[in-house]
Amino acid sequence: MRRLALLAIALLPLSVLAGANRDRGQDEVGPGPDEGPSYFGVVLDVSGKPVDDARVTATSRDGLAMTTRSNAAGAYNLPGFNKRINADEVKISCAKPGYRQVRVVRRPPSGNPVRAVETECRLQKS
Amino acid sequence: MPAAKVLAALALGAAACGAWAEGEVLRYGQALSAHKSIYSLPVALAEREGLFRREGIDFRVVIPVPGGADRMVHALHDDTVDVTHVATPFLVRAALDGSDAVAIAAEFNDPIYSLVAKPEIARIADLKGRIVGMADPGGSIAFSMRKLLALHGIRESDVRVKTIDGTPARLTCLRGGGCDAVPLGQPQDVLAQSEGYRLLGTSNEAVPEYLYTVTAARRSWASANSDLVVRYVRALGASFGMIRDPARRPAVVAAIVDITAVPPHIAERVLDLYAQPGRSALPLRGEIDPKGVAQVIAFMADAGQIQPPLPDAERFVDLRFLARAGVAPR
Repeated sequence: MRRLALLAIALLPLSVLAGANRDRGQDEVGPGPDEGPSYFGVVLDVSGKPVDDARVTATSRDGLAMTTRSNAAGAYNLPGFNKRINADEVKISCAKPGYRQVRVVRRPPSGNPVRAVETECRLQKS
Repeated sequence: MPAAKVLAALALGAAACGAWAEGEVLRYGQALSAHKSIYSLPVALAEREGLFRREGIDFRVVIPVPGGADRMVHALHDDTVDVTHVATPFLVRAALDGSDAVAIAAEFNDPIYSLVAKPEIARIADLKGRIVGMADPGGSIAFSMRKLLALHGIRESDVRVKTIDGTPARLTCLRGGGCDAVPLGQPQDVLAQSEGYRLLGTSNEAVPEYLYTVTAARRSWASANSDLVVRYVRALGASFGMIRDPARRPAVVAAIVDITAVPPHIAERVLDLYAQPGRSALPLRGEIDPKGVAQVIAFMADAGQIQPPLPDAERFVDLRFLARAGVAPR
């Protein structure tokens, strides 16, 4: 149930992602929609409370990174890189001034092919 | 020399080589849409061909989400990136709003947008009364298309304008019959022509001097990291040289295929559009033409985005790094 709620929170911004990525004055000429699995999840402190405005970064093996901020519910959502990048080799990290990352728990992906990868990132006040 | 000292010296040398191989980290911001478009070719090629590594740079592309051109300068200010790719009008707007971001190198001078029409439409003059799918009215594409229409005696009020953002969506409109003509970027313009649609003209016929996209950095950051910026500019310049080098054509075509996911024969035609001798769509070595910046400012004023008195182009550029990298001014 909790995972479903998290999924719902995380997927909310998806509907606006396409619009947000639209470059006014600089055209979108990218390829089609199949960009590989997206990445979503939540940033929590050690007591389980959501951490908002944490920087969440997904980094592929070749160093390409996407970065976003967690919302008030601690949730974040990042689109897929592309089909050639193996989601197993994408590292998720989170950071916020005054905190240090203590662990990142990756949920076992479901579905074949994998459509989304869920992680829970824990921060501790330093 | 005792064996232990030799071993110690070798270990130190290896450590130094390792540090150099990894290089100094440079975080380069790029909008997701730009990352997957022809506009990422200069940095993508520099990365693939080891030009950044050669300059001792550990080059990392960072895509802010949500992205978009209006977010890229912001990414400089919140320490998401060190330098960023940005469309010049957005840099100008951010600077006028108080940012100390400046252009440190040119990436694309003239974007090539092709006005592509249904096969039965032979000339731009034939568009009178027809539906033209246009991009955002405040953006570079719409600016240049209005100029192109005017060059052929057509005012925007002579056509029925439908605003459609994104080349893929405009191509869909053309294919579906909802638009009679649309401006398309690469590679969709080449694809459309291969399907029988007709090329009526290109944006750079009407806008010869422009500065579409640049690498920008905060003036304060760039001054504090000037050696790194100079090495970046030098690597970018080498990439432009490679794009124009016929001997490196296979590598450039392979990069376009990877970036835009088109077949090699389409990538060849896209490269021809940009790298033909005499075309100034790409800078020679990343040089910034202040006249191109002035044209951007003039377009923004035309669109009512900025009011007179118009600012000087020099305010938005810092040419010191190009000069130190040995790039001759235009």
